[in-house]
Amino acid sequence: MASSRAPQARRLPAALARLGLPRRAAEGAVSGVAAGVAYRLGIPADVARAGFITLAFAGGVGLAAYGLTWLLSRPAAADEPPRALAPAQRAGLALGFLGLLLVLRELGVWFGDQVVWPVGFVAFGVAAMWSRRPAGRQDLFAQISGGHGGPTAARLAVGALLIVGGVALFLSSVDVLAGLGQVMLAALIGGAGLAMVFGPWVWRLAADLGRERRERIRSEERAAMAAHLHDSVLQTLSLIQRSADPREMVVLARGQERALRAWLFGGEPAGGGRLRAALQAAAARVEADHRVPVEVVATGDDPEVDESLQALIQAAGEAITNAAKHSGASAVSVYAEAAEGRVEVWVSDQGTGFDPATVAPDRRGIAESIIARLRRVGGRAEVTSEPGEGTEVRLSLGGGS
Amino acid sequence: MSIRVFVVDDHRLFLAGVRAELGERFDLVGEAVDVDEATEAITRLAPEVALVDVHMPGGGGTAVVRAVAASRPEVKFLALSVSDAAEDVIAMIRAGARGYVTKSIGPDDLAEAVRRVHAGDAVFSPRLAGFVLDAFAAATPADLDPDLDRLTDREREVLRQIARGYAYKQVARRLGISVKTVESHVSAVLRKLQLSNRHELTRWATERRII
Repeated sequence: MASSRAPQARRLPAALARLGLPRRAAEGAVSGVAAGVAYRLGIPADVARAGFITLAFAGGVGLAAYGLTWLLSRPAAADEPPRALAPAQRAGLALGFLGLLLVLRELGVWFGDQVVWPVGFVAFGVAAMWSRRPAGRQDLFAQISGGHGGPTAARLAVGALLIVGGVALFLSSVDVLAGLGQVMLAALIGGAGLAMVFGPWVWRLAADLGRERRERIRSEERAAMAAHLHDSVLQTLSLIQRSADPREMVVLARGQERALRAWLFGGEPAGGGRLRAALQAAAARVEADHRVPVEVVATGDDPEVDESLQALIQAAGEAITNAAKHSGASAVSVYAEAAEGRVEVWVSDQGTGFDPATVAPDRRGIAESIIARLRRVGGRAEVTSEPGEGTEVRLSLGGGS
Repeated sequence: MSIRVFVVDDHRLFLAGVRAELGERFDLVGEAVDVDEATEAITRLAPEVALVDVHMPGGGGTAVVRAVAASRPEVKFLALSVSDAAEDVIAMIRAGARGYVTKSIGPDDLAEAVRRVHAGDAVFSPRLAGFVLDAFAAATPADLDPDLDRLTDREREVLRQIARGYAYKQVARRLGISVKTVESHVSAVLRKLQLSNRHELTRWATERRII
């Protein structure tokens, strides 16, 4: 019979995979088992954890169930939003769990009423207070205000009631306090008083935090926009001021108008796509604007331009512009190396150079457009220059830059 | 005793430009505008250095270099091109040219390149350095000669500096070595480029028509 059992044993994991019990290590507190079960059932992970904890005190059933689930589940990443349960389904699930507990109690798989009930109350109370809404697309506001929604007032109240009830149950069952009724009443009144005193203050604090976060996001957006305008519109305006030829002014203004429109209404202008093409385009822009030849040499891969690479290319464009405008060099060299997810770009000129220590901190060019822009996407920029020795700007991204 | 230079290019405007730029520094012994004319004249005149355009009717610069090499091995070739195509540049070097510069090169740099090629050194433009770095980037197959088919770290570093637009003198200072050492590194790379059997070199160059 061993011969027929072997294929069965091999089939078993496949069958389990079809069963689709996921283990979500990334979201889990211990190994992701509870998070996976919660995902499967459509309930918050903390509630599933509370269930496991409660069952653990019911004669260790929870520990066994946890271990078994771990064995049967497979690691999985979050691929789709968890399904939402109808209130009736939730109630059914809760009643089913309660029934399971009662059966276990009847069977004697039970550490005692004075342990299991209080633990269960407190565990579910904490879960109700702290569980996050499942991260899906259904709650746009929660995403905007920072990921997951906090507990609602109703959930807070239910959770607090459960915890207080659990503690009271435990205390009364172990007979620590005989006259518990009066103490509880006193505690309730005291709690209500505290809530009235500190409630508004806590409320205001939370509101302030939200406002601060929105303010920060807004100021970062403003900095990014300022950097972009500095690279494009301000540069063109300064060129137009220096230009004596009305035709050239029109050309400059029209080109800038096109670029600005594209940026305002349709993301980045075309010509991106991949690193090499984007660098060539940036070089071509500077050549056209400043009449200084820019040679681009690229080796290695030619990665797709994503948001952070876009920032690097814009910083490179700014460095090329600086070299063409200020160095007095007859040509600018751009050298790019891309391999294994790492991108490095050098922009060098053999012009007059400068002393980096003497650049005024309020000069936006290098500080904002190059260094800060790369820092925002996790990259690095180094500027090496000496008077009379030319300038080299090294930009790097990825691979621990 | 100025160096005897021959120029081959099918654009007469460019020939005139080179004549104006190099006429006072070198002994310009002749010009040609196509492959046959160039092959005949170079074989007859035996210049010390020949500047050859990569793209020409009738076979291109490679044909000239190949045809002359048999009878006049002492003529040193410097490839000139507006082309960015890696395959043409690599083919030119493998045919025997000692260097490659783009036509946008300034007069002083061009004169320097001619002297360098005449002295037996190699001349790499930033673009050629980039091509070579790419061509040798792939892992070396076990059946090939590592001496010929792989660049040393130092050679790689020298090429990267050249690709960033630095002249040999600056490369030497930046790496803390002598100009002579830089020259010998570049010559070693040129030798590898010409003699290596790794077929990636040709295949890679054919696959990559534009940078």
